[in-house]
Amino acid sequence: MMEAIATIDPVILQGTALDVGEFKLLPALTVISMLGLFLGVGYLFRVAAVDELWVAGRSIGSIENGMAIGANWMSAASYLGVAGLIATAGYFGLAYVVGWTTGYFILLIFMAAQFRRFGKYTAPDFVGDRFYSDWARGIAAFTTLAIAFVYAVGQASGMGLMGQYIFGVSYEVGVILLMAVTIGYVALSGMLGTTKNMAIQYIILILAFTIGLYATGWAEGWSIAVPYLEAGPQVAEAASIEAQFVEPFANAGYFAWTALAFSLIVGTCGLPHVLVRFYTVDNERTARWSTVWGLFSICLLYWGTATYAAFGGLLYNREVSDGTGFMGMAGSESDAIVLLTAQLAGLPEWLVGLVAAGAVSAALATTAGLFVTASSAAAHDIYTNLYKDNATQREQMIVGRGTIIGIGILVTVVGLNPPALIGELVAMAFAIAGCIFFPVFFLGLWWENTTREGALAGMIAGIIISFGAIINDTVIPMYTGVEDALLPGLATWLPGTSSALVGVPIVFAVIIAVSMVTDNPPEDIKRLVRQCHSPEPMSQMETAEDVATDGGTTEGR
Amino acid sequence: MTDNTNHDTELTESTAVETDGGVVTETYLDKEINIFKPATPFMRDHLRVIGISFIAWVIVVFGPTTATLLAPDTMTGITVFGGFPLHFFLTAVFTPLAALLLSVAYAMQRDRLDSKYGISHDTEEAQANGVAADGGEGE
Repeated sequence: MMEAIATIDPVILQGTALDVGEFKLLPALTVISMLGLFLGVGYLFRVAAVDELWVAGRSIGSIENGMAIGANWMSAASYLGVAGLIATAGYFGLAYVVGWTTGYFILLIFMAAQFRRFGKYTAPDFVGDRFYSDWARGIAAFTTLAIAFVYAVGQASGMGLMGQYIFGVSYEVGVILLMAVTIGYVALSGMLGTTKNMAIQYIILILAFTIGLYATGWAEGWSIAVPYLEAGPQVAEAASIEAQFVEPFANAGYFAWTALAFSLIVGTCGLPHVLVRFYTVDNERTARWSTVWGLFSICLLYWGTATYAAFGGLLYNREVSDGTGFMGMAGSESDAIVLLTAQLAGLPEWLVGLVAAGAVSAALATTAGLFVTASSAAAHDIYTNLYKDNATQREQMIVGRGTIIGIGILVTVVGLNPPALIGELVAMAFAIAGCIFFPVFFLGLWWENTTREGALAGMIAGIIISFGAIINDTVIPMYTGVEDALLPGLATWLPGTSSALVGVPIVFAVIIAVSMVTDNPPEDIKRLVRQCHSPEPMSQMETAEDVATDGGTTEGR
Repeated sequence: MTDNTNHDTELTESTAVETDGGVVTETYLDKEINIFKPATPFMRDHLRVIGISFIAWVIVVFGPTTATLLAPDTMTGITVFGGFPLHFFLTAVFTPLAALLLSVAYAMQRDRLDSKYGISHDTEEAQANGVAADGGEGE
């Protein structure tokens, strides 16, 4: 029964119940005016300084940052993919809901405030400084780029599906069109513009998602005020059509469920584009409360995903498959289930268009966040710190924008023929982040004797485990013509989407073991770690390094 | 400064006797950071909050699914709100809600700790030195 996730079938993007035939005027106008608004805001808040490009001058408040966390976080995978995964995988799909919401709590209690205290600009900055090693910084920068790439492919795929519906163009043209807009706007506005935009994007996406859900409930007479709690009869009906919808371990076993939820949780704590949101707030208390607000923003959407799955499943069964069930729907249909639900419920075209616009907003916000992170990894961590120490701001901006354009093109090309469902692609990015970044972040912050050698060994182990798993069960079947995973036994226990349950303990063990047998970190690094835990408030632009080297010294160094 | 090159340093009660709870950075920078060996009263209090909320989190996140594995008939047999099987409802709606409530509880506890130890984030210039002027990063 584990085959369901052990082997991910390539997505076939044809034969969809989604109404993709023609150009739709009102939805198109909605999306165009929305994109115009984003570009306008991006232009208004365009930036010239590095501080502003990457950490928005550390000026963002907790509710605004919470909304930005929500928009940054809720990608096409959350907006479109999760409901589709619940509709086609039943209870197993709920592991996505659990993993993608509850991870923020771990981030909050173990990392958010400490990261804010550490200061700096990027996740590789943390790794490079904490582990006093340019190699560590380089590996972290590479990992950041890899995560941004895998993650963004999922977004490109969602954009293609929405472009198909709205503009009546082919999937491929949809991908290219909407990715071009994204690339243009991120390159123009950087982090400050995107933070301002993310708050707007959040409002659009959450309204569109919720209105679609409520309108479907009203149109079908299923729910009135709180569809999340009123959908019980529809869940029961969906279960009577497809028993697997609620059967606990029908599509994947307990291990697979737990492994996925765990991977998404630790991935949340290791994602560079999520962590950078804590560098943008003014102090650590704001970092904590913006995490709470962020989780609230996120829950608003996730509570609706199971309801969408039940509603969409029933409608699909009635309108499309003539009562033969809904779990066999095509990949492109399940990836568009939120939109499909609104369409099959007979909602007016402008309203369905609004739901599609929300999905575009979700994909765009996340892609923007990813691209900014990727560009800072390339310009700040690789170019400036490793290659040219005295790089000017102008050079950094050029490298940063070049990276955005380069990675954008690469994502667009792979997005034309994505190797898995949107939600699965994003889960792979999480497994990478969980295996490689989470252990070094966690131990780096909470155990001062973690050494450079330990971190390097751990990250390399994490790379082998997470990439190995993805290559084994997704890349090889997708691109070489081999039918199944190369090593099916390995794919059962180490799936590409959930490698962190096995991977994280191994990486932890490697880091601790190597740290024990190597020399302790230098005293100033230890002071850096201690400063991250000191309760004394720091000023807005201060980093832990400043305090540990200048501020807090009593006896000199 | 203590010569801290030994992983087995025993930092226990004897070294943690600051009357102010060790909230001043100068004191703090001499204390080892190890999640299992909190070195100051503030850190001990903080880690207690973290530990309790972490255990609660593990229960709400993995509890429903584990219960479903152990007692499948009970968890799937009971229905709530007119049709949700219990395990489905707990996982889809309750777990995210519980994580949110736990986050609020933690953030409030942490604010309470701040006030207990007299920490305020209202004014940034408490220590009024010039470090912040250049953004702390002179590129």
